[in-house]
Amino acid sequence: MRRLLYLLREAVANVLTNRTTTLVAVATTAFTFACVGVFLLLYVNLKTMASSLEQDIQVMVYLQDDLTEQSRIEIEQQLKIDRAIASLTFVSKERALADFQAQFPSESRLLQGLGQNPLPASFVITLAAESRSSDAMRRWANRTQLIPGVSQVQYNQEWVEALAGIVRYIEVAAIIVGVILSAASVTIIANTIRLALYSRREEIEILGLIGASTTFIRVPYLLEGAALGLCGSALSLVILKGGFELFRHQIHSATRFLGVDALLTFFSFDMCLVLMLVGLFLGCAGSFLSLLRFGEGRA
Amino acid sequence: MIQLFHVSKYYDRRPALSDVTLEIEKGEFVLLMGPSGAGKSTLLKLLIGAERPEEGQILVQGRSLSKLRPSEIPVLRRKVGVVLQDFRLLPKKTVFENVSLPLLVQGASTTEIRRKVAEALRAVGLDHKKDLFPPGLSTGEQQRICIARAIVNGPIMLLADEPTGNLDPDLTSEIIELFKSINARGTTIIVATHDPNVLAQVNRRVITLDHGKVVSSEQGAS
Ligand SMILES: Nc1ncnc2c1ncn2[C@@H]1O[C@H](COP(=O)(O)OP(=O)(O)O)[C@@H](O)[C@H]1O
Ligand SMILES: [Mg+2]
Repeated sequence: MRRLLYLLREAVANVLTNRTTTLVAVATTAFTFACVGVFLLLYVNLKTMASSLEQDIQVMVYLQDDLTEQSRIEIEQQLKIDRAIASLTFVSKERALADFQAQFPSESRLLQGLGQNPLPASFVITLAAESRSSDAMRRWANRTQLIPGVSQVQYNQEWVEALAGIVRYIEVAAIIVGVILSAASVTIIANTIRLALYSRREEIEILGLIGASTTFIRVPYLLEGAALGLCGSALSLVILKGGFELFRHQIHSATRFLGVDALLTFFSFDMCLVLMLVGLFLGCAGSFLSLLRFGEGRA
Repeated sequence: MIQLFHVSKYYDRRPALSDVTLEIEKGEFVLLMGPSGAGKSTLLKLLIGAERPEEGQILVQGRSLSKLRPSEIPVLRRKVGVVLQDFRLLPKKTVFENVSLPLLVQGASTTEIRRKVAEALRAVGLDHKKDLFPPGLSTGEQQRICIARAIVNGPIMLLADEPTGNLDPDLTSEIIELFKSINARGTTIIVATHDPNVLAQVNRRVITLDHGKVVSSEQGAS
């Protein structure tokens, strides 16, 4: 108990004696974390947008013209038991024509000139959430295409795939930037701890000579590193949140009536906690590195 | 209690100790003499596991130091009090805190710490200075605090490296008397020094080193 108190006091004393270095370290770590955060935010937002857009995507399954009522019902049965499909509506040839005429009244004469109804019957399908990714969609479309009586499966493929591509790029960029900048912040923290170790090397030697275990000697510095990482990530979240609100305000003024700003989301509370934990962990890793190097120098 | 068999220690291939064999019994008061560079400090460092010999065996209480795992070294050091040449006090901690450190690191209770620190400070005659900071004390007092810190654990042996190095003759005899009284209570004491004043006052066993070799080991009269 007393020992724990001592260790905490030592960690606090470390921070206080190296106030400037500590502040600089927290600020730089916060800035590095914030850079990663920007990418993460971009990723989170595009991902949300992508899934909300995917929700609106409908797939058309066009039927062959010479299909009997019996085969149409069979196809419908088959589609209804498909787990990838969330809902489906049948659109008959007549219905398709009526819709077309309602949508494009000026062109309707063109169709009348043909004498017979050229529009095919179709099923309009919304896919289940787990089948909305571009890969799943493509696989599903290829499979459905093979059902006898189906003439064509159509959906806005380019759009879905382009969006998925962008999200994937951002994901990769976020990972790369995240790894590089995490390494940078580990280095920053490691350097700060190294300074602290250096300025107290005599005390550390004394502790070793009077029989302090390696753990006892190391704990204050691990605590300091953890605190640095935690403060850095917390501060970066504050910076990000500030920047995010500013950005949202700008968007709101620029696109007053579109409601685009309502689509933007910040990290959830849980996500914030996770990010702070990551900061704490990186801080520990930084001081651990310094302690290892410091230990090698002595032994 | 302490046995060395053909121990050699090299720094950059140059021997600081070569082929040292000696034995020190429990309760002995040994002076380790020899000119500067003879290997006295190196020998003390070997005994607390701060350095490891390239050759030979060191046994402390029958246990071979070369077989200690790194995690066992702190355990050894808790049984050995050290007053090293450059082994200073922590200036920003009070006398009480400085002396309590060896107890603190092994997780002693508050009451135990209070009792043992008071005892150790009384033994060196400085219990009235426990709330002062080391820079406010004289060199003689600082050295006595170091000794209090070294004995607070009730160690089986006390190692001192040039403990009178920067003290005048009066303070030197004060420190020597202190060591004698600690030794009288059963603690084995090894003092490394090249100070002839110490030799004059301690009529005990003297081990003389030169160029890393034991050149003589003579029992004093008493
Ligand atoms: N850490 C070290 N690195 C290199 N040489 C050392 C080191 N410590 C001691 N030595 C050398 O070992 C020899 C013995 O040193 P030391 O044990 O300090 O002697 P003493 O304490 O008797 O004056 C000296 O020649 C010294 O230069
Ligand atoms: Mg020496």
